[in-house]
Amino acid sequence: MRNINFGYGISRPRVINMDNNDLRKSNAIIAEMPELQACIGCGSCTASCTAGNLTDFNFRKLHTSVRRGEYKGAYEELSKCMLCGKCRLVCPRGINTRGLVMLIKRKLGDF
Amino acid sequence: MDDILLYFAPFTIPFVVGTLFLFIAVGVKWVLWLMRLPRVDKLLIRRGIFTRQTLIAVWEVIRESLLHVRIFKHNPVLGYMHASLAFGWFLLIAVGWIETTVYLGADFVPLQGHVFFKYFAPHLALQEHYAVFEQLMDALLLIVLSGVMLAWFKRLRSKALGMRRTTKHVLFDRIALSALWFVFPARLVAESLTVAVYGGGGFLTGSIGGWLAEVVPADVLAMVYEPAWWFYSCALGVFFVAMPFSRYMHILTEIPLIFLRRWSLRPNKERRSYDNFEVEACSRCGICIDPCQLQADLGLNDTQSVYFLRDRRYNMLSLKIANNCLMCGRCEAKCPVGINLNTLRLNSRAKRRNIPHEGRYRYLQGIDRSSGMGKVGYFAGCMTSLTPAVQRSMERIFEAAGEEVWYADRDGGVCCGRPLMLSGETDAARKMMESNRALFRKHEITTLVTSCPICLKVFKEEYHLEGVEVLHHTEYIDRLIAEGRITPKSDNTAYTYHDPCELGRGCGIYDAPRRVIGAVGKLAEPKHTRRDALCCGSSLANTVINDGQQLRIAQRMTAELEATGCDTIVTACPLCNKAIARAATRPARDIAEIVAKNIE
Ligand code: SF4
Ligand code: SF4
Ligand code: SF4
Ligand code: SF4
Repeated sequence: MRNINFGYGISRPRVINMDNNDLRKSNAIIAEMPELQACIGCGSCTASCTAGNLTDFNFRKLHTSVRRGEYKGAYEELSKCMLCGKCRLVCPRGINTRGLVMLIKRKLGDF
Repeated sequence: MDDILLYFAPFTIPFVVGTLFLFIAVGVKWVLWLMRLPRVDKLLIRRGIFTRQTLIAVWEVIRESLLHVRIFKHNPVLGYMHASLAFGWFLLIAVGWIETTVYLGADFVPLQGHVFFKYFAPHLALQEHYAVFEQLMDALLLIVLSGVMLAWFKRLRSKALGMRRTTKHVLFDRIALSALWFVFPARLVAESLTVAVYGGGGFLTGSIGGWLAEVVPADVLAMVYEPAWWFYSCALGVFFVAMPFSRYMHILTEIPLIFLRRWSLRPNKERRSYDNFEVEACSRCGICIDPCQLQADLGLNDTQSVYFLRDRRYNMLSLKIANNCLMCGRCEAKCPVGINLNTLRLNSRAKRRNIPHEGRYRYLQGIDRSSGMGKVGYFAGCMTSLTPAVQRSMERIFEAAGEEVWYADRDGGVCCGRPLMLSGETDAARKMMESNRALFRKHEITTLVTSCPICLKVFKEEYHLEGVEVLHHTEYIDRLIAEGRITPKSDNTAYTYHDPCELGRGCGIYDAPRRVIGAVGKLAEPKHTRRDALCCGSSLANTVINDGQQLRIAQRMTAELEATGCDTIVTACPLCNKAIARAATRPARDIAEIVAKNIE
């Protein structure tokens, strides 16, 4: 049987020093979409993700990192999202994930 | 007679200046818009101008710009208001022109001579036959005045004209509107005063003038007579100056728009100069406000098409307003000017970064997770993969019909591209479309069936799949039943059907799903149905409203579906299905599910 990819994986352990991270953009993102704070990190968005099914794109990891002020590579990574909207339908906290993709890209990119 | 007709009086200056300004301003706008049209559009004009379409357009201008037949059909009182103002005013000008020509011969008379004829030729009243014109002009004035009264009334109480809400206006609108309200009453006063001084007049100005002559002393009449004409001329002048910058620009914009449209110009995913004609043809009648569920269910009052077009026109469109629309098309279906509201909304979303960087979606290259063989392809779509019951039901139906099927995305696939397109990233979306298109070509399918109306629409409109018939699964199942390839049994279940926006208004598919439901049970229609159907609220086109707001829209529309007393709610879109399911108190099923269930 082929390995079924449920979208879960184990990330390398990392240490985040919040003092070194610039949270301005993160705060701006949360200010525009306060519901993001309700995320429980369940990973349903990643599990259902169309792009995540085809690549190693991991939406939960991405928006969690951005929230913690780790922006490196996030814009490029988010460009893999197809905006298909599955994640929004499965999110148990009703987070407007499609809006979030666009919001993060707007704040981190230049448009 | 010429000696009594000097066509100049100081009070005419505001009118003359206003008119000149209007002609120049509108002329400049039109010329600029036309010049900036891309070559393809200019070519369309050149091809269309000497065809029958031009004549049809002339007829349509009469019907719509003067008589406002479409508004009339929507709402007779509102239609009368528009028609009395537009057609009444037009006739006043036309009959006024004939009047002057009859009495003065074909000699050149400057514009103000026509418009203020009564002032310049009060003694004509004593001439033979003139009474006919007097009566006619009075009747026309009365008709226009009745329209003005209705407009006043509409401002005060919009409900009386069948509208829950009426439009909020910008400054130029207010100036123009106030001036317009005064134009005709001022004309009535000025003409009546003239009658009071010189005699004559029809049934309206005659009686008022006669009454004035009785109650007002002659020296007072002589004193207010001239100022009354000044006031009339000023009201006209102010209106004409404000007009090109106000909603009333629609009066003049709708005319070229009708012609351009007949020559097959259309707005597109990219902004173009042609859009100006559509944007400024909006009369801000506000008919689009009431159908909008963002208004009715959520109380949002700044994002409806009328406000969106207003903001876009004055270059103050925010990203939020552009994005806060379900693109359900309910307003577009009602707009009396026939503006392509969805397309304009879409091309307002095009972002500066629309041009994707080269590496974007490179990972799509060579992706092929399809399975099966067959000339019929089935593309479930992303949303369908979240409703596996639909997928299974379709497989069951294919099997029962003995169809050999190629499954494009059973083990994951690439999104159809429409969601990304709806957010304005058309060029990036094209990469996805190309990937899917190549896949369809590679497997040489001749029929493409999809369960998702969102995919269906983009397949039909953007994929250019020549030689491949694109069908929604409702159409496909309908065909299987008609050909006797499947014979689902019918029971007494009471169904009600929700028309998905993208399937109904989007692709015009209303009958196939109803025939299929009719083949397996009884169908009851909800209050809003077919072209008037409500949106489920989960539309991918809206990235602004939150989960609670989506749910509220879904609850309102689901309550309407349940009011039919049905046992089961049926729809034909996996996204609608999800939205309804969480708001409903009874089962929500896809059409494929109820058919599969009833196959032996
Ligand atoms: S599905 Fe929702 S709650 Fe779960 S990780 Fe994703 S965003 Fe957070
Ligand atoms: S919208 Fe983007 S992040 Fe969400 S499921 Fe689709 S591809 Fe993944
Ligand atoms: S968009 Fe259409 S319906 Fe809405 S205000 Fe303009 S003309 Fe009226
Ligand atoms: S398309 Fe639908 S949501 Fe958008 S403005 Fe029109 S009625 Fe409202």
